[in-house]
Amino acid sequence: MTDALPLLPFFLFTGFFLIWPVVAVTLRSFKGNSNEWTLANYRPILHSGPYAHAFFVSLKLSLVTGVIGALLGAFFAYVIVKYAHGKFGAVIDSISAVFANSGGVPLAFMFVAAFGTEGIVTKILKDLGWDIYAGHFTIFSFTGVVMVYSFFQVPLMVLVFKPAIAGLRQEWVEASINLGANPFTYWRRVGIPILVPSFVGAFFLLFAGGFSAYATARALTVGTVPLVPIIIGTLVDGNVVSDQTNLGDALAVGMIVVATIVMAGYIWAQRQAAKWRS
Amino acid sequence: MKKFPLKWPLVGSAAFFASLMFIVPLYGATVYSFKGNGGKGHSWANYQWLIHQDGFYPALFTSLKLAVLAAALNLVLMVPTMVFLNLKGKRYKSLVDFLCILPLIIPVVSLAIGAQVAMPKFLQNTQYELVFFFVIIALPYTYRALDTSLQTVALKTLVEASRSLGASWASTIIRVIVPAIRSGITGALFLTFALSIGEYTITSLLHWETFPTWTVVAGQQNILGAIAISVFSFVGAIALLSIIALLPKRNAERVEVEE
Repeated sequence: MTDALPLLPFFLFTGFFLIWPVVAVTLRSFKGNSNEWTLANYRPILHSGPYAHAFFVSLKLSLVTGVIGALLGAFFAYVIVKYAHGKFGAVIDSISAVFANSGGVPLAFMFVAAFGTEGIVTKILKDLGWDIYAGHFTIFSFTGVVMVYSFFQVPLMVLVFKPAIAGLRQEWVEASINLGANPFTYWRRVGIPILVPSFVGAFFLLFAGGFSAYATARALTVGTVPLVPIIIGTLVDGNVVSDQTNLGDALAVGMIVVATIVMAGYIWAQRQAAKWRS
Repeated sequence: MKKFPLKWPLVGSAAFFASLMFIVPLYGATVYSFKGNGGKGHSWANYQWLIHQDGFYPALFTSLKLAVLAAALNLVLMVPTMVFLNLKGKRYKSLVDFLCILPLIIPVVSLAIGAQVAMPKFLQNTQYELVFFFVIIALPYTYRALDTSLQTVALKTLVEASRSLGASWASTIIRVIVPAIRSGITGALFLTFALSIGEYTITSLLHWETFPTWTVVAGQQNILGAIAISVFSFVGAIALLSIIALLPKRNAERVEVEE
């Protein structure tokens, strides 16, 4: 163990600022109002009610934006790998990186400017004869949040899935041709089966990102769409009266549990994908 | 295998979907941000309103300060750690790798609640507590950037040469290794800085005022001003990253050393 001494600063740092907060919030989530051990904080999540519903909405949002992001992102990634090279490819890479990390406050305001009731795109579409606000749609609704989240989920998929597509070897195509395959047989029997584990892994990553995202939804919806992170935020700000002081802790631990399960799926898919690269 | 003429249909539809998804909202927001008073005409009014608001410069300065500190702390912590890992500590690599992936797994909201529970009072009373959490959030990206860069240099040879010429460990890291992995360090620095300057979740849950949280509050008074700053920060980030992507890669000129 003494040979790991140079790693001591790193272990102390992550131990104190990463592990200890997670342990502390987990411990406190099992404490009641008068500091006694209890499971009471978890009851509102497991029984039907606003908190269980928030978990349902959060999971639905992650699923929908994960699927949209994965499918569209995979298509973009394929076209980029195939046709965008050199400096153009480098610029597309960095734009994808910016967009993938754009899930913040600015994104919410920009979508309000474009698709809000008074938004520029809303007005242009209205002039063209399509009033997007004629039905139930608002940018502050579930559908609105899906639109905004897709803005960073799709580029994130491009970033994480591109290496998998670039890893498809020309030899495999040639081998398939020599064995008498046409392009469709190649994709059905070789290309797609090889890409599936990477695709599933990337989907899990998108799912986890959508599940944890906070800033965009917070700035956009101000509580109109009940998502777990937003509810935790309002509990912390003290805007919601709750007779359970540590309910927010239980919600936070619930999020960690969901995220851990999803990331376990991601790691499993990564292992499957790695089999082809050796 | 017969070649199908797929190129233009594929590129065309990708370009179409991409402009629908990305250009349209960007265009809409940009046009909106130049709306004049009362929604008439075009002007810089919203941008001017913003910089004359109370708290604009203090919030911007706070964010810049915290981001610079986070980037610096990140390098001081991670460069020696990663060098040691790749040189002598290979068997600890999977553990460090796991710890560096954790910030992607643990939702930031949960980390923020945990910070409120776990951090000692003297840290919770200063905005500098944010610096430590910015470093944590950047770990997954820093780890990758530095690790990729370190694997392309003949680390062992460089260190042995430097040490046998009488250099100390500190001077070996600063004068030999750091220049050799410059591209990875630039990447790590830039990513930490960018993540820190835009960080909203932990900052707002711990009730500090930085540029992003200030923008949200300002946006409640004047949505046009908030949109202006959003467009500005977004376009700025794209421009900066594109310039960095187009810079010639210095690493390519490096003399290859066989291990």
